Amino acid sequence: MTCDGCQENISLFLDNELDEKTSLAVQTHLSFCADCARVCEDFALILDSCKVDLPAELPPPNAEALWCRINNIIESEVNSQPVPEEKPRGWFGRGFTLSQLASAAVAIALISSLLTIVGVRNYFEPTGEDFSLRSDATQTTFEKVFSKIGLIETPQASRLKRLKEQQAAIEYWNKRVQVRRAQWDGKMRDAFDRNLNEIDEAVTGYTIMLEKNPQDGLSSEMLDSALDEKMNLLRAFSEL
Amino acid sequence: MNVVLFFGVAADQTAAQKRFSRTYPATKNVRLQLVNRSGTIIVEGWDRPEINISAYLEAPSATLAPQSLSGAIVMDLVRENQGRNIGNVNFTIRVPRSCVVDIETRIGNLSVTNVSGGLVRAVVTTEGDITLTNIISAAVDAQNGIGDIFFDGAMLGGGQYRFTSMRGNINLRIPLESSFRLVATAPSTRNIDLGPFRGSNMRFVSDGQRVAGKAGEGASTLTVTNHRGSIAFLSR
Repeated sequence: MTCDGCQENISLFLDNELDEKTSLAVQTHLSFCADCARVCEDFALILDSCKVDLPAELPPPNAEALWCRINNIIESEVNSQPVPEEKPRGWFGRGFTLSQLASAAVAIALISSLLTIVGVRNYFEPTGEDFSLRSDATQTTFEKVFSKIGLIETPQASRLKRLKEQQAAIEYWNKRVQVRRAQWDGKMRDAFDRNLNEIDEAVTGYTIMLEKNPQDGLSSEMLDSALDEKMNLLRAFSEL
Repeated sequence: MNVVLFFGVAADQTAAQKRFSRTYPATKNVRLQLVNRSGTIIVEGWDRPEINISAYLEAPSATLAPQSLSGAIVMDLVRENQGRNIGNVNFTIRVPRSCVVDIETRIGNLSVTNVSGGLVRAVVTTEGDITLTNIISAAVDAQNGIGDIFFDGAMLGGGQYRFTSMRGNINLRIPLESSFRLVATAPSTRNIDLGPFRGSNMRFVSDGQRVAGKAGEGASTLTVTNHRGSIAFLSR
């Protein structure tokens, strides 16, 4: 099963509405694909949040007056005169001279050639083996340029974003664990604490490494993995 | 006196345990799905077209109600016993060799032997060893918190193999002619012993925290992560 196929079926999978074969295929895919597993976790989180009783929706203080105002706005937009369409004036009509147009064309050609050369060079730079060690240092020039102008996220920014998401999920599951914890026997509590401690020590280790070297892709990846482990541990024990 | 005391304890333990045994007819592509709370799970492949479940339930006894759902035997002791204090449940399950095995426990050892189904998944959420012996499957996933993982089996072309532990020893015993792309990571100990697969196609990166490379044509994918333990390869 592909990632697309899996993600299309995740919602049905969580609702137990898939047939046995597809459900198995989704489950198998989720056990190997970290990305889809994350999507599944997010879905599960949303479903869980939806199950929490929310206060009834508050009506506006004066619904009738609000509706009248909306109606007036719609009517005033419908009645307003259409703006006459401006005739296209063409390049020369806008006041550009022939020499300005020629310079612009040359500039565009130069920039695009430059970008093509840089792009071709960078295409071969990241090796297949470096996929898991992605850091700012392994960014291609295109990516650096795009991230500088804000078109794409830098690895550091996306790492921080992911970290925040993980911490939010950990907090959520931890609250549920604290509610359940009193019902566990001593053996279960001890095992849970030992494992949580083990994960926390690993997390601390990776965090220290990243503080020393924020470009350390492997520590970043391992921190991500350890936080996932922590989330899974908390989630598994919140079900007990 | 000691003998009397021994028999007394043995009798007491026997009285505290309940036995569960049931056999289900199984097709070739049957699936076993088991989620246990605590206790050992032993799964063995055999040549009969049936699944035999034998379990010892320690007091206080868990509710155990296997469901046979269109080609799958499903047991979820976590869901069935939510909010209850229950004792260990120790399983011995015999399955057709071609069975898909998906087993999980919060605490306890897992063992799977002589299975060649499409998937073998074994997960211990916290503490327990995982032993997978004579496994010939295209997808193997073993994960534990604290404990050892041992895999002895073949790696099939196009297969995906993943072994993850927080702390313990991961030992993989695979045929010398195995073909796989490897990413093995042991960031804390940097103890990665490639054994017979040591060679020019494997390279250590990040000061020895990781080994990445290819054995043979790289026909399958092998990912091994041990946060605070060692990784070793042995020839089968």
